[in-house]
Amino acid sequence: MKQTLDWQVASIKDIKPETATVKSFTLTLPAWMRHRAGQHYDIRLTAEDGYQAQRSYSIASEPEREGEVDLTVERINDGEVSTYMHEVLLPGDRIEARGPIGGYFVWEAAMAEPLLLIAGGSGVVPLMSMIRHRAAAGARNPTCLLYSSRNFEDIIYYNELEKLRATNGGLQIFHTLTRSQPSGWKGYARRIDPEMLKEVAQPLGKSVQVFICGPTLLVEGVANALVKIGIKSDQIRTERFGPTGG
Amino acid sequence: MEETTDINRELMLDANATAGVLYEIFGVEMTASTTGCANCGNEGEVGAQPAFVQGPGIVLRCSTCENVVLRIVQTPEATYLDARGAVYLRLAR
Repeated sequence: MKQTLDWQVASIKDIKPETATVKSFTLTLPAWMRHRAGQHYDIRLTAEDGYQAQRSYSIASEPEREGEVDLTVERINDGEVSTYMHEVLLPGDRIEARGPIGGYFVWEAAMAEPLLLIAGGSGVVPLMSMIRHRAAAGARNPTCLLYSSRNFEDIIYYNELEKLRATNGGLQIFHTLTRSQPSGWKGYARRIDPEMLKEVAQPLGKSVQVFICGPTLLVEGVANALVKIGIKSDQIRTERFGPTGG
Repeated sequence: MEETTDINRELMLDANATAGVLYEIFGVEMTASTTGCANCGNEGEVGAQPAFVQGPGIVLRCSTCENVVLRIVQTPEATYLDARGAVYLRLAR
C-alpha cells in the first residue's frame, strides 16, 4: 500500500496537561490521514541556523477522529524536542509533522482476539489509542490494561480510563504503583512480576495478543516473563523507549 | 523484574522507532515488512528488530542472533546504507 509521507505543517489546536511532566497536544493536520492505533508521528524542529532535531511520538487519539490527532508527550530533562513542546508551544503555533508511520506495533478493532496491553509510564500512550479505538469501534473482545506508574500522580489518563472501564464491556484495568501508594490503594504496589502477569494474562486465554510499551528494561522483563508462562513470542509485540530520546 | 546494568540493552529500541527514516529511504512503510538475517537465516518483521539509534548512525540487529542487519548513516548530502547483514528486504508495492 503506497502512501505519501511528506512533512506537513500542523497547527496546535489545544494543549492539555495530563500530569506534572506529561501534556497532550492536539494537532490539526492539513493532510490528515486515518492512522492505525499504535502508530506515531515524527516531529521536527528547525533552528534558525538550520540545525534540526527530530523525535517520534505515539498517537494517543483514536483513528475515528478526523482531521486531527493527539500526541501525548512526556517532558524529558534536556530533551530537545519535548522541552520545546512543553515550554514554548502555545495553541495556534505551527510545527512540522510527518505521519502516521509504523506498521508493526498496531492494533485494529477487526482483530477479535483477547487483548493484553502492558504499559510502563508514558508507554501507555499508544495503548490508549488502542483502547479509545476499541471504544469508538464498539469492539467487544476481552481487553486488559496492566499499567505500571511510579506514583498515583504520575498515572496518565486515570479518570478517562476509569470512565472507559465503567462504560466499555470487557475492559479491565489494573494499575501498579511502584514507588508510593495513596492510603487505601487497592491496586498492585510492586514492579510487574511473573505472578502479576499470570493473574492478568491467564483469564484472557491462549489466543491473547499482547502489546507492551515502556522503558526498555520493563519491556524486556515483561516479554521474557510472558514467554515463560506460555505465551508464544509471535503473540507479543513490543515498543521500547530508551532512557534518553525526548 | 531483574535489573540489568548493561548500557547497550538500556539504550536499545525497536526498529519501529526508525519507521520514519526507513520510509524516507525505501519510500514505503517498512516496519511490518519481512527481512532475512544473513547470519542465522531467521526471518521476521523489521519492526521487531532491536535498534540502536544513539550513535552517529542507526544499527538494526537480528532479533534472534544479534547479527548487524542494517546500518544507516545520514549526512546532510547523502544517506549511506549497509545492508550486507540482510539476505533480503521486502518492499511492499
